[in-house]
Amino acid sequence: MDYLAGGFLKAVYLLISGDPETYTAVFTTLKVSSLSITASMVIGIPLGFLLGYYEFPGKRQVRAIVDTLLALPTVVVGLFVYAFISRRGPCGELALLFTIPGIAAAQTILVTPIIVSLTATAIESLDRRLKTTLLTLGARGKQIIITNLVEARYAVLVAAITGYGRAISEVGISMMIGGNIKWHTRTITTAIALETGKGEFAVGMALGIVLLSIALAVNGMLIFLRRRS
Amino acid sequence: MTADYPLYHLRDLMYRHGRYFELDIPELTIDHSSSVGFVGPNGCGKSTLLRLLAFIEMPQEGHIYFNGTDMGRNNTNAAKQEVTMLLQEPYLLKRSIFENVAFGLKVRNDRKEIKRRVYDVMELVGISPKIFARRKWYELSGGEAQRIALASRLILKPRVLILDEPTASVDQESASLIKQAITECRNQFGMSLVIASHDRVWLNSVTDMVKRIHEGRIAGTGTENLIPGPWEETREGLYVKKLTDGQVVHATKPARIDSTGILNPSDIVISLTRRDDISAQNILRGFVSQMTIEKDSDNVLIDVEVSGIQLLCRLTKPGVEKLHLIPGKEVWAFFKASSVSWY
Repeated sequence: MDYLAGGFLKAVYLLISGDPETYTAVFTTLKVSSLSITASMVIGIPLGFLLGYYEFPGKRQVRAIVDTLLALPTVVVGLFVYAFISRRGPCGELALLFTIPGIAAAQTILVTPIIVSLTATAIESLDRRLKTTLLTLGARGKQIIITNLVEARYAVLVAAITGYGRAISEVGISMMIGGNIKWHTRTITTAIALETGKGEFAVGMALGIVLLSIALAVNGMLIFLRRRS
Repeated sequence: MTADYPLYHLRDLMYRHGRYFELDIPELTIDHSSSVGFVGPNGCGKSTLLRLLAFIEMPQEGHIYFNGTDMGRNNTNAAKQEVTMLLQEPYLLKRSIFENVAFGLKVRNDRKEIKRRVYDVMELVGISPKIFARRKWYELSGGEAQRIALASRLILKPRVLILDEPTASVDQESASLIKQAITECRNQFGMSLVIASHDRVWLNSVTDMVKRIHEGRIAGTGTENLIPGPWEETREGLYVKKLTDGQVVHATKPARIDSTGILNPSDIVISLTRRDDISAQNILRGFVSQMTIEKDSDNVLIDVEVSGIQLLCRLTKPGVEKLHLIPGKEVWAFFKASSVSWY
């Protein structure tokens, strides 16, 4: 078991000394997940509002599909996106394969259903008197949408943080779409997979510590926001 | 335009909720700067009528003319902004009290002297702005929340303020402050009031006229007492309604076993003792819960609570003085079985 203790000590050293290879993977992860969560929120929050606020024929079926997409396997997303953006694919000209925007686009597909579903739940859970109150105070159209989202702000933030947690921890998409290219598309999760395969536990552990720290911070925010909402 | 048309004119109005009919109003007019009250039992259609008058919902059939404009047909957003409604259970937005009161002005993009206007209207409803303006929405009592909700409507200086059971869940002090605030606004800028309430004494004190709604129809003025069924037949050929404390109300044969009886407040005699010299079948013990002067008359309206039922009685001022009536005093109410009529 000495190699584990030794690996842990080396991991701490790598982090303290600012090892460029380790930190490149950390920054790539943050860049990719920030891009994907931003895109998912821009797409998912309005869709989630529509799904939660309005009654329309087929709403339950749409909801069932969105909820099913919550369990999308990352490798399946990776497979389809790969097929679309590879040179032979219909979006091959965009040259997204093995790039950070490519990973972010695929992660957006993974995370958007989470944002849509949790935002819809947040809007559905709002007090029924809110709608009447807003109408009686003269709010119309865009003002009603914004005020509803502001009223559900903690729950919408919980959706965003849950989505972010999913994005930073996935490995299938980053591996398949990013290709795990050193200094370029290598993320924390793909680096851990690679280093572990090579028997280099120290780098893997150092990255694992960073990933767990991010996850801890994200969960801390979730707990705080859930209490406030 | 204002002088030519009534404020509201409802014609051939029908409203159904799903398959069930809720409102049927062939004709109803409400004048400018008037104060109209609606009374009636739960589920009679009061709240639905108020929602229609507030343009939150539209009828399936018929017309609502607001100041001469058919609200179902034209572009009516500007007219809708002139009407606001206070809900029975207020909903405060999840933001500070100041922001709650200022919300309506902000959505209208009317930010001129907003702080002074918010503070003024908070003072008007009896809430200190210095203490409460920065508080959160959950840091208020029920009565305070209702008054803040009222303030957020009054700040808009609406042409019409609609109130749905404004005093149902507030204490006496809040009810009194609500009355003061709406009366003040009515006097200041001619705001019209449309109010639904079970509190008939309070309602009589803030309205010019009260209309009764029964099973979705407007049925007379609101001062009559309603005694809901079911009724049971007795051996003497009368019908009785049993009250929870064992007392019974006698009446003549109802149209149906679950009919609602109507009793005119003038048909009730009040006494401090049980009297056997009055030939009334109904002798009910209760206590005075509220008293108020009836508008445009020398009479006093007295609410007598009898086993959970509120009986509104009409007495002359000398009659009240003679009996030394005060709220809380035990009294006996007498009326004939034949005084109970039927819908």
